[in-house]
Amino acid sequence: MPVDFFLVIAALLFTIGSVGVLIRRNAIVMLMCVELMLNAVNLTFVAFAQEGQRMTGHVFAFFVMTVAAAEAAVGLAIVIALFRRRRTTDVDNASLMRW
Amino acid sequence: MNLLTGLILVVVLFALLRVFRPANPLLTAILPGLVAVGLLAAYHQDLLRLEFWAGAVGFVAILSALLIVMHPNPMVSVLFLILNLFCIALFYLMLRAEVLAALQVIVYAGAIMVLFVFVIMLLNLPAEEGLGAGGGIQRWAAVLLGSGFAALLVFVLRHRLGRPYFEPGSFVQEFGSARDLGMLLFGRYLFAFEAASVLLVAAMVGAVILAKRRLQ
Repeated sequence: MPVDFFLVIAALLFTIGSVGVLIRRNAIVMLMCVELMLNAVNLTFVAFAQEGQRMTGHVFAFFVMTVAAAEAAVGLAIVIALFRRRRTTDVDNASLMRW
Repeated sequence: MNLLTGLILVVVLFALLRVFRPANPLLTAILPGLVAVGLLAAYHQDLLRLEFWAGAVGFVAILSALLIVMHPNPMVSVLFLILNLFCIALFYLMLRAEVLAALQVIVYAGAIMVLFVFVIMLLNLPAEEGLGAGGGIQRWAAVLLGSGFAALLVFVLRHRLGRPYFEPGSFVQEFGSARDLGMLLFGRYLFAFEAASVLLVAAMVGAVILAKRRLQ
């Protein structure tokens, strides 16, 4: 069972997530794509932990999960606040800091 | 030709029938189903191989990731994201990260995704037309650059491709167990662990304040 298989899958998942962030304008779907990218990175960490037989990668994946939970909570709260003011979750409507 | 490629072709056939013959649901359901049953009967010895299952889970993971990005309805996207998280939990099991697999299902699919589902139901979002208002040029540029990025990543990995790095079964005994992860978390990474708890408290307070109707 080659470790590279998991690395390639993780690379593809990360790419799909980043393209999703770029082409979708719905804030919730963009957050979901960020979760997808975080998971791809986690998979890479765990694959390399298996290759080196060291558990540091597992610890890092654990902390990424923690940060993902915090990010999801704050991000969704921002989406709710945005929806309350603009009645939409389209990020093109939050353009105050756009140049 | 093995079972995995056959089943992937069946899924592609099903998708094509759904797109080009949407008026004939019987054909779209029965024809790929019969082909799949035939393949299972012909190549049933593949079911016992770990490579088949890894490939199948990988295919489902990629497919569900694509559907997260492409589906216009956010609720369906969330369900596919949950499917994707389960696929990654299966990968963790194959890589002998059993604690992380359990955490993935309980924390990620169980808690974080419930938050997403809850917010989508709270906001009662309609399905978008197409993929939203983003301009055509940005979309094509993103897809093009994304393909280039994926090609770059695979190119970087090319000299490693196909080399077997571990045999399922030849493991260090304690690798990936809850005991060892706990020893690391409460030993060498104790400070990071405590910092993560502070981060969670800060995120919780921030989320409550942001989602509050009025601050007074």
